[in-house]
Amino acid sequence: MAYRAEPPDGGWGWMVVLSAFFQSALVFGVLRSFGVFFVEFVAAFEEPAARVSWIASIGIAVQQFGSPVGSVLSTKFGPRPVVMTGGILAALGMLLASFATSLTHLYLSIGLLSGSGWALTFTPTLACLSRYFSRRRSLATGLALTGVGLSSFAFAPLFQWLLNHYAWRGALLLVSALSLHLVACGALLRPLSLAEDPVVGGPGAQITSLLCHGPFLRYTIAITLINTGYFIPYVHLVAHLRDLGWDPLPAAFLLSVAAISDLVGRVASGWLGDAVPGPVARLLMLWTTLTGVILALYPVAEVPTGLVALTVAYGFTSGALTPVAFSVLPELVGTGKIYCGLGLVQMVESIGGLLGAPLSGKGNRISRWAMAAVFYHAGGGGEGN
Amino acid sequence: MRALQGLRGPRAPSLPLLLLCFLAAVRRSLEDGLSTAAPFTSLPVQEEMMTEYSNLSLESHNLSVTERPNMPAEKNITLERPSNVELTCQFTPSGNLNAVNVTWKKGDKLLEDNYLVNATGSILYTQYRVAVINSKQMGSYSCFFGEKKQQRGTFNLKVPEINGKNKPLITYVGDTVVLICKCQDCLPLNWTWYSGNGSVQVPIGVPVNDKYVISGKHANETRLKITQLSEDDQGTYWCHAIFELGESEGHVELVVLSYLVPLKAFCAIAAEVVLLVAIILLFEMYTQKKKKPSDDGKEIEQGEQLKLDDSNGIENSGPRHRKNESVGQ
Repeated sequence: MAYRAEPPDGGWGWMVVLSAFFQSALVFGVLRSFGVFFVEFVAAFEEPAARVSWIASIGIAVQQFGSPVGSVLSTKFGPRPVVMTGGILAALGMLLASFATSLTHLYLSIGLLSGSGWALTFTPTLACLSRYFSRRRSLATGLALTGVGLSSFAFAPLFQWLLNHYAWRGALLLVSALSLHLVACGALLRPLSLAEDPVVGGPGAQITSLLCHGPFLRYTIAITLINTGYFIPYVHLVAHLRDLGWDPLPAAFLLSVAAISDLVGRVASGWLGDAVPGPVARLLMLWTTLTGVILALYPVAEVPTGLVALTVAYGFTSGALTPVAFSVLPELVGTGKIYCGLGLVQMVESIGGLLGAPLSGKGNRISRWAMAAVFYHAGGGGEGN
Repeated sequence: MRALQGLRGPRAPSLPLLLLCFLAAVRRSLEDGLSTAAPFTSLPVQEEMMTEYSNLSLESHNLSVTERPNMPAEKNITLERPSNVELTCQFTPSGNLNAVNVTWKKGDKLLEDNYLVNATGSILYTQYRVAVINSKQMGSYSCFFGEKKQQRGTFNLKVPEINGKNKPLITYVGDTVVLICKCQDCLPLNWTWYSGNGSVQVPIGVPVNDKYVISGKHANETRLKITQLSEDDQGTYWCHAIFELGESEGHVELVVLSYLVPLKAFCAIAAEVVLLVAIILLFEMYTQKKKKPSDDGKEIEQGEQLKLDDSNGIENSGPRHRKNESVGQ
């Protein structure tokens, strides 16, 4: 039968990278910059900021928990129709949100509807990307994921400009139009059939076989642990700096610096992952161990130069581990099962993400960093198969 | 009421002697507590005023006047309710203390009484007291030192400032909006709202109607709720706070847009997306038609879709088939 023996590693694959780049920008960039809207919602609906921030939490939770659904559908139908449908759903959610009269309305339209739209886009795209590349997989993934960092820079001022000119209703309408571009990105995902496809069977069979796969389960637990620690530094860095007496503007600036080094880390690690021979899992262990060490050093560093250096290093290493983390999976489960595998991992790791931030909130300033470091080390250790 | 002659600023050559006597008299009282405002003995005039307005609070403000002209000594004082105000200027002259001429002015008008002059060591102090009971006593009070090159210190007495909003408020036709004016820690007697068309200010809410509702949760803020917005409601709105000592105002700018404005932008972007999708899919169908189905080897991926159309029942051809249909739509 006319199936490809191995991934093309180029050609149309680079268009898939482009599509993945814009999709990660439109999904995570929008989510990360949404804080700009929250100020307006607090004033418009007269609700406390904690309740308004649930909009983003629900959106992220639905996106991650719904990943298996996206995976199953794209195994059956291929990534293209699934991603295009996801784009329409995400845009529809934002459109309905512009007519909102209450906060619950926003929970349902942005959180639930847009969230499920995002669930149908991100996972199938990354999985499709893994199928298109083998030798240059890490680099392709790293390049695609830079979309997240760059869009966080671009979208925050853009959203503020939209709010200043159109108020939040008009701005949501235009963000909906922006999200429609997910449909165009989906159109770029040309289906690829690889030699393993007939062997692995339909989605149901794939999921059962994955759940019995030892290395896959270990990988999932490791990623979950890493994910638990992942958000802790981002959530607490600014507070930590303020405790040490920093002004708000330099503290926010330091976060931007971390974002830049995160970006550089992703691309560099992607390139490195492909250049270095041998299993990629070793690199993942390296980056997670480094990140853990850096986080453990945070409570000790009080001098501003030390903190800046630590933050740059943290941004680099935590960015570096993302493309490698995604690259390990195809090596473990094979490109045939990649859709379902990625979906399952995302669903389980989201539990870690949800738990991480509140758990760390309970500790004091120093214990938080220790907790994060522990999670990273545990995850890294789990990778040492 | 005229003060005792010797206690006005030294204007005639004979006065320095009197000043020296005054200095000797008060030196003992000045020995302690110089870190606070220079203690002056009160004038009979001022004692009279104090008893009349003794129930009012006392506010003291100090200024240090220097000989550097590029650093003007100025202080803004916010007053909300009637009170007794004590303004003290201190000056360190380079030359002889006694040769310095001290005067007070309110705006441009020279003040003739109610002020004291005192010298301690090398620093010259002067103090002016006024009972501020209505808006006539508000304004700028200045102390002047010297005759050839006059050094000056200014106290600006003002009512509290009102904050409206600096950025224009964007709303849509048919919406309801609440305009808020507030001040930091003040309690105005009353609030009024005006809408401004150019320089003319028209009061709002005078014939009480449903469209405008003026309310306020706390005394330091006022809210104007406008319902059923239309494009005529666009413009600047002024809120006036009335105090015993004067009036203060803030402004809020309102912009009313019609729904068509963002809707047009939305439709334009949606059309662009549809165009992009069409281009991508057409390009793909074009490249598929160009590739011959008999090509083996690496470039099978597009060709095999055509092959699968006419062929067998492998499980995966089912979904591929469905996918082709949805792509073709």
